[in-house]
Amino acid sequence: MSALAHTPGLPVTGEPRLDAAIQHAAHWLPAQAPLHGFVHHNTLHVYEDHTFEEAVRLAYERFGAQPYLSEEAFAGHLASGRIRDVDIDTVLRDEGVSGDETLAGKVSEHALRRARLLHPFEVPRGPSLQWWLEEGNALRTFHPAATPSARAAFLQSDRVASPGEGERARTEAALRDLFQRLTRAVPTPTPNPVPDTATRQAVNALVHPLLIRLSAAFLDQGVAHWSMPDRDRGFYEAFRALYTLGAAPPDPWLQGLRATLQRQSAAGMDAHAAALAALESLGVGPEGWDARVEESLLSLRGWAGMMNVLEHAPDKAPVRAPRTSLVDYLAVQLTLEAQAVRHLEAHRAPDAPPPRASTPDHAIAYEGFVLAQLLGLGPHAFDDAAARTWLARVAAFDALERRRVLQLAYERRHRVGVLDAALAHAALGAPQRPAPRAQLICCIDDREESFRRHLEERSLEVETLGYAGFFGIAMAYLGHGEIRPRPMCPVVVTPKHVIREEALTPPKARAALAHPALLRARHAGRTSLVRGAFASFAGLASTVPLVARTLFPRAAARLVGHTQKKPPATRLHLVRQGDERGPDGLLDGYSIGEMADVVAGALRTMGLDAATLAPLVVLVGHGSASMNNPLEAAYCCGACAGGFGGSNARAFAAMANDPRVRTELGQRGLAIPDATWFVGTYHDTCDDSVVYYDLDLAPDALAADLTWLRALLESARRLDAQERCRRFDAAPLSIGPDAALSHVEARASDLAQPRPEYGHATNAVCVVGPRARTRGLFLDRRAFLVSYDAKTDPNGQALRGLLAAVGPVCAGINLEYYFSCVDNEAYGCGTKLPHNVTGLIGLMNGHASDLRTGLAKQMIEIHEPVRLLTIIEAEVAILETIFKENPDLEKLVFNRWIQVVAWSPSDHSMREFKDGRFVPYAPSTSGLSIVRTSVDHYRGHREHLGCARVEAALGEDS
Amino acid sequence: MAIVQFASIFAVAGPALAFTILALGAWFGRPLSERAGARVVGLTFAVSFLGLLGAGATMIGTGTDAFRTPLGVWFTTSHHRFELGLVLDRLSLPMSLFGSALVGLVAAFSARYLHREPGWTRFYVLLSLFGAGVQLVVLAGSLDLLYVGWEFVALTSMLLIAFFHDRPAPVRHGLRAILTYRLCDVGMLGAVVWLHHVGVPATVRDVGDPFLGIGAPDGLLDATVVGLLLLFATMGKSAQAPLGGWLPRAMEGPTPSSAVFYGALSIHLGPYLLLRAAPILERAPIAAGAVVAVGAVTALHATFAGRAQTDIKSQLAYASMAQVGLIFVEIGLGLRFVALAHIVGHASLRTLQILRSPSILHDHRALERATGAPLPEAGAHLEAWLPASFRPWLYRFSLERGYFDAMLEGRMLGAVLRFLRALDRLDEAWVSWLEGEATPPARRNEVSKFSEVSR
Repeated sequence: MSALAHTPGLPVTGEPRLDAAIQHAAHWLPAQAPLHGFVHHNTLHVYEDHTFEEAVRLAYERFGAQPYLSEEAFAGHLASGRIRDVDIDTVLRDEGVSGDETLAGKVSEHALRRARLLHPFEVPRGPSLQWWLEEGNALRTFHPAATPSARAAFLQSDRVASPGEGERARTEAALRDLFQRLTRAVPTPTPNPVPDTATRQAVNALVHPLLIRLSAAFLDQGVAHWSMPDRDRGFYEAFRALYTLGAAPPDPWLQGLRATLQRQSAAGMDAHAAALAALESLGVGPEGWDARVEESLLSLRGWAGMMNVLEHAPDKAPVRAPRTSLVDYLAVQLTLEAQAVRHLEAHRAPDAPPPRASTPDHAIAYEGFVLAQLLGLGPHAFDDAAARTWLARVAAFDALERRRVLQLAYERRHRVGVLDAALAHAALGAPQRPAPRAQLICCIDDREESFRRHLEERSLEVETLGYAGFFGIAMAYLGHGEIRPRPMCPVVVTPKHVIREEALTPPKARAALAHPALLRARHAGRTSLVRGAFASFAGLASTVPLVARTLFPRAAARLVGHTQKKPPATRLHLVRQGDERGPDGLLDGYSIGEMADVVAGALRTMGLDAATLAPLVVLVGHGSASMNNPLEAAYCCGACAGGFGGSNARAFAAMANDPRVRTELGQRGLAIPDATWFVGTYHDTCDDSVVYYDLDLAPDALAADLTWLRALLESARRLDAQERCRRFDAAPLSIGPDAALSHVEARASDLAQPRPEYGHATNAVCVVGPRARTRGLFLDRRAFLVSYDAKTDPNGQALRGLLAAVGPVCAGINLEYYFSCVDNEAYGCGTKLPHNVTGLIGLMNGHASDLRTGLAKQMIEIHEPVRLLTIIEAEVAILETIFKENPDLEKLVFNRWIQVVAWSPSDHSMREFKDGRFVPYAPSTSGLSIVRTSVDHYRGHREHLGCARVEAALGEDS
Repeated sequence: MAIVQFASIFAVAGPALAFTILALGAWFGRPLSERAGARVVGLTFAVSFLGLLGAGATMIGTGTDAFRTPLGVWFTTSHHRFELGLVLDRLSLPMSLFGSALVGLVAAFSARYLHREPGWTRFYVLLSLFGAGVQLVVLAGSLDLLYVGWEFVALTSMLLIAFFHDRPAPVRHGLRAILTYRLCDVGMLGAVVWLHHVGVPATVRDVGDPFLGIGAPDGLLDATVVGLLLLFATMGKSAQAPLGGWLPRAMEGPTPSSAVFYGALSIHLGPYLLLRAAPILERAPIAAGAVVAVGAVTALHATFAGRAQTDIKSQLAYASMAQVGLIFVEIGLGLRFVALAHIVGHASLRTLQILRSPSILHDHRALERATGAPLPEAGAHLEAWLPASFRPWLYRFSLERGYFDAMLEGRMLGAVLRFLRALDRLDEAWVSWLEGEATPPARRNEVSKFSEVSR
């Protein structure tokens, strides 16, 4: 921060300097959009310039957020065999930890670290340590983790020192001797200034409740019955107008605020001037602005972040963003803080400084002491120099370092399992299959992996492919009956086109899907006393939905579904003739040429052409509809900006079926066979339903194929539900496919269900390559599968575009899960149970908290936080060029935010990306489980499962 | 009549038994599984509900207006017998029936909502205890016994607000709720003692009204004092102005507990107590007038404050508060059947609204689709009639929740704290004089820590 203050070329003071400080601080604010547009992104995106390990440490220092899983969690993984000794040995060896240099006795640094990792023990601190040393057994008996052989070695080395005593007395004497030697070697602590957090806390305690209330009122999108006056003059002016009115509020700490604001108003100050005035009043000079602005903004980073997001992307507001800017927010915050500081200085007795501990750190001596016992090192191994070295090395391998190494070992075990299985699976080959009768193009989403696998197991004539679920159509979509279009493409893309859904037979009046009065009744009396009273007397009627929704959620939802008016038959308004404009001034549909671009781009990337296209090509968009779930968008299609991706599948199919588009494609040398027909569908990953679009347009010749395919999808979705149910504690492990479908349907329609589905939880792998590589490989719904064929893309042109889009998206999902999982309170939004929706934009705990960002505890509880293992089938040379050309990818790969493995399409060897280059990978395990069907593999298991070869999908007979 | 007797006793004892089973299991480190625990609690309230249904049918069938179940005598002195007993009459029967149904429904709801939550057992332990407390309040045959249930409700309310006790805010807000309750308990205790003092039995008995009630003291002054004390007793639990600041803050617990406490049952126990004490209010017009005034002020205050709230749970909290204010008005005016219907209807409505509060994004979108236009931004009702210059002022007044909290904290609580601090300083000076020290030692500012409770 202070570095910035001295950077040459930066303004020294005044408004530009303040803007620089704000811009600097704004980097650290969460970038999460309002709830309805929740899209996964790397929580620490701003740190991508640093390596992953540096970044998590910096964030740990800045936000106090945990960088890795806790040591207890890793200890559990060690105990369960999820991390093995060999993983730790390999990681330590790869890091170049010396095994030759001896520190004490015959113990090397390698052995020290290995012992410290493999035998996790707790190091008590402060009074707790004092107790253990004085009252407990720490100095009397061996540490329980010390093995008998280590104990023997420990005493062995000490035999000469104290002959002729009893075993117990000798042990105690030796232990005390050792501890004393180590205590003597403890370095005297360098005094560390303790930052004054008491003042900050006292200020926050006064300012935050009011600031939260004001921010929420300013950003409200329609919860409150009255909205804040003068919102369009910006936050600061709206606030000033409100608090210069009438009498001052009675809060003691706000006395004098009105006068301050009146002065500012009279002087015609804007937000900048007010913020500067507040900084002056706080006694902060320009050299301290960076630190102060950052400290203030980060103290409520959820709200400040939302202000920042809506300043730069006001279109992300669910209804309409007021004139939002971060400087306005800062002006209000600093004005209130200055007010609070004035009040505290006048009224608050200063706290006595906390007593400073100046005694040497016995904890480090204790840690070295236990470690010596584990390694069988008695007191005589430690002369003064050895003891000092020993403690220095023990201190260097602190908890953060240990967790970093454990994380690497944890990731290694997973990586080895997947890579070895993939290689073994490929080595086994596959029999020739008949030409596909149908191709299903699904989203690359990890949740579609099981759906695709089950389809392929049911029929060898089905082939599935993976393509980003917006299918290359970067549109805004206006569904029938919707009042505003929503973007249906990755968030980095701004749609230029709008596609509208229109009723086939225009209704006489506006086709309301439900009566407004009925919908209003749900909220009767929320804001009105009189209507509330009427509603209350009719309130007994609420017991009907209350009982039904609570006791029979699925039946209740079905009943409601039956009573609702059926939506009318619709078509997409797709084709734009000239330059027509639709809602929001967007191009009203696609021209034929643009449509041909979309279709050609997708087919080329997936390696599809006239020779390989099946008669039936089904596009599968996806989404996830659930009840009582403000985070619904997070479960939907990320490639569609958190929307329901069915519309994109439908639009793609309609484009590819259009004869004019086909003619255009034919001229470009990518003819689509006349016999091929595209169908758009929607797969709901929550209740596993499948919706088909525009089937009435399909040629009659395909009727039989369609019937066949629909039957397959019917059984595949049941099996998909069954495979998902194995993760739900509430579903019995023996559940059958039909019962499983009912179970997931009940989840989707249940008001009381905080886990409608598990979303992307457990995602860990991304495979970019032809499906042939992964067909018949059980990947446990943990892999993003991206179709790409290196054979049809010799110079990597298609791969370049594909990785630029897919890399950050998959990494974003994976890293958001990583961070929300390792520290659910700091990076995630905690448990869903007390969540409270505010202003339609965000979540709070209770009535006034900071906005909670990230993922809820219920979404990550089964997740394994490993960085995405990205396996790309391409030549190393091409990948290296692509990484160098794309700075975003380069950062992700070189700074280790994802793990990259290149799988050569020519010699089928794998190369891992390590320390800036690809190194050959050699499999270290052998044997791949081979099962008849997926069901055989997952039946009866709740836990993560390893890969397996599924014969049914390959047409092999056992 | 055995069924009636069984139903009355089981309504209280059943949840208490469920509480004991769950709590003992947890105490001995062998907590029940989620499935078993939910079954025990669910079964308890189902049996309780069916029993009460049977009791109701029996009473209607035999034309019994009230049925008393004596539970024995706690103690006897020369002039007083402390009798314990439960009463089912036309007031307590619907309330009790309704109470067991709602707690049972929320227990069923929570079985899925709180699945895998580390505090699962604690939640059900508290919910069962709350169920027993509510039934004891509703069925109590005397004010003394009612007081016991009243305290169980307060205790469980506080512990469920502070359910997520690893964060500071829930704990602070739980503490604030219990402080308000305890403050108002002064009224309850005062009323009981006063009644005993003037020799009126604090039992629920036939006073010639449609509902059984607590007999009024003969003296107008006595009746007025007892009536006002009882009003004060109910103002905390029912979040009446100006003491209702804890209610929006109580939305820190899991959503189902917020629903059953602050939408359904706990908040309506105040009006219920006043319905039981109706004969006293009838005797003392000043007290009845005070009930109307408190209710009316609360209804207006909460309506205005609620209109400016931007989060769904605070808005529902104020909506509850406003309707309970209206119920107070009805009771003050002697409209007892209206009040009872209002309580039952409002509780049902609000429970569902709080339970489905996370659906607000869906509902907003559905309403926009149905009306075919963005929803209008500001209300066009009462406030449109106000002069334009007054509206921003009223908005700030509403957003600041009528300044009630600021007044109470800044002026009243602040004054009390300053007084205590002065006493503390005096005490310290005295001690140091005794010890022969020249100056009192510097002290940490403990009082400021205490006042953090109010945030």
